[in-house]
Amino acid sequence: MEFDVPYLIRHLPALGRGLALTIQVSALAIVLSVFVGLVGASLRVMRFPVLSQAAAAYVEFIRNTPLLVQLFFVFFGLPTVGLTLSLFWSGVFALTLWAGAFQIENVRGGLASVSPGLNEAARALGLSKGQYLRFVGLPLAVRVGLPSILNTSVSLIKNSAYLSAIGLQELTGVAFDRIAIDFRAFEMLSVLLAGYLSVVLTLSAAVRAFEYRLQAPFRR
Amino acid sequence: MTLILENLALFWIGLRTTLLLAFFTLVASTVIGVVLGVLATFPARFLRILVALYVETFRDIPLIVTIFTIFFGAPFLGVPLQPFPAVALGLSLWGGANAAEIVRGGIQAVASGQTDAARALGLRRWQIYRLVLLPQAVRSVLPAFTGLLALIVQSTSLGALVGATEFLKAGGLVIERSTVMLGINPAFQIYGFVLLVYFSICSVLTALSRRLEVRLAATGQRAVVTPPDAASI
Repeated sequence: MEFDVPYLIRHLPALGRGLALTIQVSALAIVLSVFVGLVGASLRVMRFPVLSQAAAAYVEFIRNTPLLVQLFFVFFGLPTVGLTLSLFWSGVFALTLWAGAFQIENVRGGLASVSPGLNEAARALGLSKGQYLRFVGLPLAVRVGLPSILNTSVSLIKNSAYLSAIGLQELTGVAFDRIAIDFRAFEMLSVLLAGYLSVVLTLSAAVRAFEYRLQAPFRR
Repeated sequence: MTLILENLALFWIGLRTTLLLAFFTLVASTVIGVVLGVLATFPARFLRILVALYVETFRDIPLIVTIFTIFFGAPFLGVPLQPFPAVALGLSLWGGANAAEIVRGGIQAVASGQTDAARALGLRRWQIYRLVLLPQAVRSVLPAFTGLLALIVQSTSLGALVGATEFLKAGGLVIERSTVMLGINPAFQIYGFVLLVYFSICSVLTALSRRLEVRLAATGQRAVVTPPDAASI
């Protein structure tokens, strides 16, 4: 079976739409999951009685269950108890739920590296716990935790391929539907491999370059 | 709840397949990981590059795409694969890439003086690996391998998408059956139950991984190879 270039070109627009959807879902989920991470990590370090433990339990649960099952739970399970989300938002929600747990750990790791002296100084100046986090702790934590936050985000983009399992027409969904319809595998598979590899490798390289820049003040 | 008890036999079939898949994948990943991990520590540069290429490829392509490619691509090469071997192969290629990183880290963590001493004693290269490096690496990679096993167990759920009747698929079948025959859709309860079962298996493994890490730290050796987590691979 030879590689049919005109066939590939004919279907490029559809693949482009798939890639656009992949990027759209991922971008939304990344922003939301970082927000979950900031809130969750704050709850954990502020030691609110119940909320702090709830955040810890959430992290443990998500890390120890498969993303695919979480996705099925959100897309097939929640509607049966009256919580119906559209296909698109189910995908965003499931990815956010999953990545949020890892972002909490990333931000928390960043917070742990902030010297305790700063916390004491902030308290001595009369800042409340919340103000300390907002003005001192989190800005520093994000800087330290940024490489891992970005790594989780790259992982999220990769894992958005799972959404093809619930029928979202993102890149993987489009490609495998075409394979099923036309019975041609090589063209679509090569696009898929090239597509994900280029997105992930570009972003990983960007993360590494960024990491290097962030380290600048600490480099001798 | 009664629905779960009534379908216990089906769930058991699913769980068995999940565990079997995880076992095969662990064995194959370990073999790939040890071979590639050792090659990555050889002085030859092209070997390092080849291994890095393999590792990056399978870690950067979404696992779901790898498995789909194998399952749907195999017939085009004239070797149609059953769901189980296709999933096992896909998982092993991916798991092997992660295991290779772990093994490489474990070998590099052994103090370089050990290699020098072994060479001074006249040991050949494969003897150095077999008698000096690998036995010491085993201890420092154990926590990471346990963590990897938890990820492998989670990833076997992808088998459901190509028709391997593993645990998630078993849950899906129970839901389908009861929707058709009883007219009720128990997706919330059943998928909730499936989540809980995966959670209990994997949290035991992650807890074990943490304990091994603590024990290793107590012996004075730092666990240089940190366990992989789902968002870093």
